[in-house]
Amino acid sequence: MNSSSRTLTIRSIFFLLPSWFLLLIFFIGPILLTFYFSFTNLALTGAQAQQMQFVGFDNFVTMFQDANFRISVVKTILFLLLSAIIGQQLLGFLLAFLMKEKNTTFRRIIGIIVIAGWVTPEIVVAFCWVAFLNDNGTLNAIIHALGMDGVTWLYTFPLISVCIANIWHGTAFSMLVFQASLDDVPKSIEEAAKMDGASKLQILFRLIVPIVKGSIVTNMILVTLQTLGVFTLIYAMTGGGPGTATQTLPIFMYNQAFVNYQLGYGTAISLVLLLIGVVASLFYIRSMKVQV
Amino acid sequence: MKKWILSGFCMLFLIFLSACSNNEPSSSDSTNEKDSEKTEKSEISITFRTGGGTNQGLINWLNDTVIPKFNEEHPDVTVNLVPLEVSEGDYFAKVSLLLQSEDSAPDIVTEDTFMVNSDASAGYLEPLDDRIEAWEGWGEITDTVKKGVTAEDGSIYGVPYNTDTRGLWYNKELLKEAGITIPWEPANWEDVLNAAIAVKETFGDEVVPLWMNSGKATGEATSMQTFEMLLYGTDDPLYDFDEEKWIVKSDGLLSAFQFIDNVYESELGPNLSQVLNGQGSSIAYQELMPNNKLAIGLDGMWQTGNWHENGPAPWPEFEETLGYAAMPTENGQEPGSTSMSGGWALSIPAKSDNKDMAWAFIKMASTPEMNLDLQLNDRNITPFQSASEDSAYQELPFFEEATSFVETTNFRPAVDKYPNVSTVIQTLVEQVVTDAITPEQAVEQYQKQVTDIVGADKTIER
Amino acid sequence: MNRYTLEKTVPYIVLSMIGALFLLPLLWVIFASFDANAKQALSMPSLFTLRNFSAILSDPTNIRAFIIGLFLSLGQATLVVIVGVLAAYPLSRYALKYKKPFMFTILFMTSLPITAVMVPVYQLFMFLNLQDSLVATMLFLTASGLPYGIWMLKNFMDAVPLELEESAWVDGASIWTCLRKVVAPLMIPGICTVAIFTFSMSWGNFFVPYILIQSPDKFPASVTIYQFFGTYGMVEYGKLAAFSVIYTMPAVILYLFSQKFMSKGFSFGGATKG
Repeated sequence: MNSSSRTLTIRSIFFLLPSWFLLLIFFIGPILLTFYFSFTNLALTGAQAQQMQFVGFDNFVTMFQDANFRISVVKTILFLLLSAIIGQQLLGFLLAFLMKEKNTTFRRIIGIIVIAGWVTPEIVVAFCWVAFLNDNGTLNAIIHALGMDGVTWLYTFPLISVCIANIWHGTAFSMLVFQASLDDVPKSIEEAAKMDGASKLQILFRLIVPIVKGSIVTNMILVTLQTLGVFTLIYAMTGGGPGTATQTLPIFMYNQAFVNYQLGYGTAISLVLLLIGVVASLFYIRSMKVQV
Repeated sequence: MKKWILSGFCMLFLIFLSACSNNEPSSSDSTNEKDSEKTEKSEISITFRTGGGTNQGLINWLNDTVIPKFNEEHPDVTVNLVPLEVSEGDYFAKVSLLLQSEDSAPDIVTEDTFMVNSDASAGYLEPLDDRIEAWEGWGEITDTVKKGVTAEDGSIYGVPYNTDTRGLWYNKELLKEAGITIPWEPANWEDVLNAAIAVKETFGDEVVPLWMNSGKATGEATSMQTFEMLLYGTDDPLYDFDEEKWIVKSDGLLSAFQFIDNVYESELGPNLSQVLNGQGSSIAYQELMPNNKLAIGLDGMWQTGNWHENGPAPWPEFEETLGYAAMPTENGQEPGSTSMSGGWALSIPAKSDNKDMAWAFIKMASTPEMNLDLQLNDRNITPFQSASEDSAYQELPFFEEATSFVETTNFRPAVDKYPNVSTVIQTLVEQVVTDAITPEQAVEQYQKQVTDIVGADKTIER
Repeated sequence: MNRYTLEKTVPYIVLSMIGALFLLPLLWVIFASFDANAKQALSMPSLFTLRNFSAILSDPTNIRAFIIGLFLSLGQATLVVIVGVLAAYPLSRYALKYKKPFMFTILFMTSLPITAVMVPVYQLFMFLNLQDSLVATMLFLTASGLPYGIWMLKNFMDAVPLELEESAWVDGASIWTCLRKVVAPLMIPGICTVAIFTFSMSWGNFFVPYILIQSPDKFPASVTIYQFFGTYGMVEYGKLAAFSVIYTMPAVILYLFSQKFMSKGFSFGGATKG
């Protein structure tokens, strides 16, 4: 190693130090702690708040026998499927595809409306939708106007309600991603296909989808990861209820740790959530095909 | 670009400043600074729950009576009210979080007596034995109430400021119209259901027949006012004190869940959107009941605090309109009726930095005269013997009924894991109410979850 | 109607319908905030007023909550940019031995849901005696935003040609001067993108402060709005709507301001929602 490359190394370390310091303490630290606390019975109150014990795999045994955990897994999968994979992806793609080559002003207006839902903070989104779906809310007012009986949406269709709210909040992201990738489709190919008499649908499925396949996969994983972490929206809209109807894993984790006073068990649930996130993130990196 | 750098440095500077101010050494343990009136830290903070009219009586009492009097003696001490605006379901966990660090711990906290033992064994609360030893006022408090603030280690961790009972509020006019004899004296659960059915048949959707807190959001009110009021009317309590074990399987558990299920299956309860709401209690007793939209409500005497002239929902006619019946046992078995009693206490967090001043405040607030003033505002049962003999107190509406329920009342088991068991109860009740599980499944899950929490060696079946 | 015009108009109709559905929930908040007697259902303000706004803004606790929110978000955005640029420099300019795994680790971190580590983060704060500290909360937020920040800033820095720096070196400028006077100014769009993105994510974040901050007098706006919602959700609709509108404003304004950089931020696909 010559001296100039050594100074470079030292300088690099110096430059990277602050970020490493922060990431180690606040990012990697908690991840390591997750492993540690998952095997304890640490509690928020009572004797075990002062003296936690190692309980081996007890938390995980409890978890896999816990009906509520199974319910949460199912709810999480449903929430991911309905609101992320189907809802945001399809709607986002549809919007981007339909907006192609449309009147600029019209495009902009629709774009702004959809993006408004995305820019709005999650807690406000929750509040908007609670008001909208409330017993005397806008939706029921419209239904009344049509001469039908209102529905208590948040209590009759809670999961659908939070899914729709999440679609409203997240679709803009997919829309923007797809708009960017649809711009990459060369116009000339499309024109040529049109000349050959291909229908709109054929052009879409045979031509456009294969070209933007990469961004569909990447976006799917990203949106899944974002949706996996959704807490605020559900917590503020339904609190995970009624009953366990909208109790996704993050809500279940929060409830066990901060409502049922069982921090150790809550951490064990975090670990499961984290592992799901890790697997999805690895897929994400694979799908990105980035040059570093 | 210079601006960026500059603002960056400003920001960093600010961060350092606030970092330093955050880590101010907090003077703990001021027990040996008794001689100094001048150096006394001039602030104490009190934490309690607010929101939607909750604790309005307590707030009025603190602001109008206690704090002015306290400031006569300690003019340079500021008393800060630091209320938590959370639902009852969240309050206790939030308090545990608050009490964990010096930075956030208040100097006085209102503790529901079921949390006292748990928070004491977590090391969050200051034992008050030595201070109580030197205070003659302690003798004024009735002995049964003292149990609620005594932890398993035998130490005392709070001074009670109220106790309570629960019964059935009913609207005489509505019940009369539904063909029920007034005064209503239900002899068993079936009578309660039949009255609710009669109301439903008479008024349809106009009136909610029976309100029982049924959700996680209403927290302890769901465990105590609903589930335990039912369970303790069967032959099987929550905990077997002889064996020192939790009863995780019994006929009583099933009966209690079945009754709740029955109420909602037969549509005798309120809409889920009302009852599963964190504001459920306000909806029932500030909106529905005063507007004659609720026939029967299973709740405590303190609800009358909503209706007097200084309450959040004044209702001059409440005395004529309402009756207060004892909750019957399941089949009318001995002793015929049942009730649950809890109560609240003023405690000093272990991490408070002004314990002596906090204690001075608690002592001042905990006299028969002061407590009488609180009850006239807050409408609950006084823990002070001589206050309960005061004519002003005895003339409080429904005081007589509420006090008579004491004869057959029960207490929650003051053992380490009760708070966790209570959250299990709330979750299961809400699941039964929303039809996610059957009463039988609820009993199964109760056994499983409580066993996981307390350990198999601490459970028995009946 | 022939097929051609049908094909032309159907997308417009579909888009308009989707747009209307997206607009409805939002309209209610805007209308209700100006309505003296707001109801739960959408209606034109019966009595146009600014009283809801003045009620929210005249309450010192709300002002304090906004200031705390600004402190958290601005602090986080600033730190992410400063620390991120420092980290990006060697990653962009030098051939480091472990660059590849390091960058992949960073990319990996960008996509991890922060929600999953909140319980252990709370325990970490307990362990380090940092609970209830706004500064520590801000540092945690900074760390959670750093992976995205470093990734983006490194890519922006890659786009700055090396020749300019080299000529500056020849003039005898130090690394610091180069970074400050040459590289950073050319990265302004990138820096703004990262700063705005970080700020918005943090401004809208409720979960992190909700877990890490315990004292009511230290709550940022996101938490106070939640409490307001829980306490007066049934009654104070107009005020709640006004509160929401005020709270949403910074995010909207910043978004409009940043539109020209945003598309760049997107093509790297490193966006993470907290």
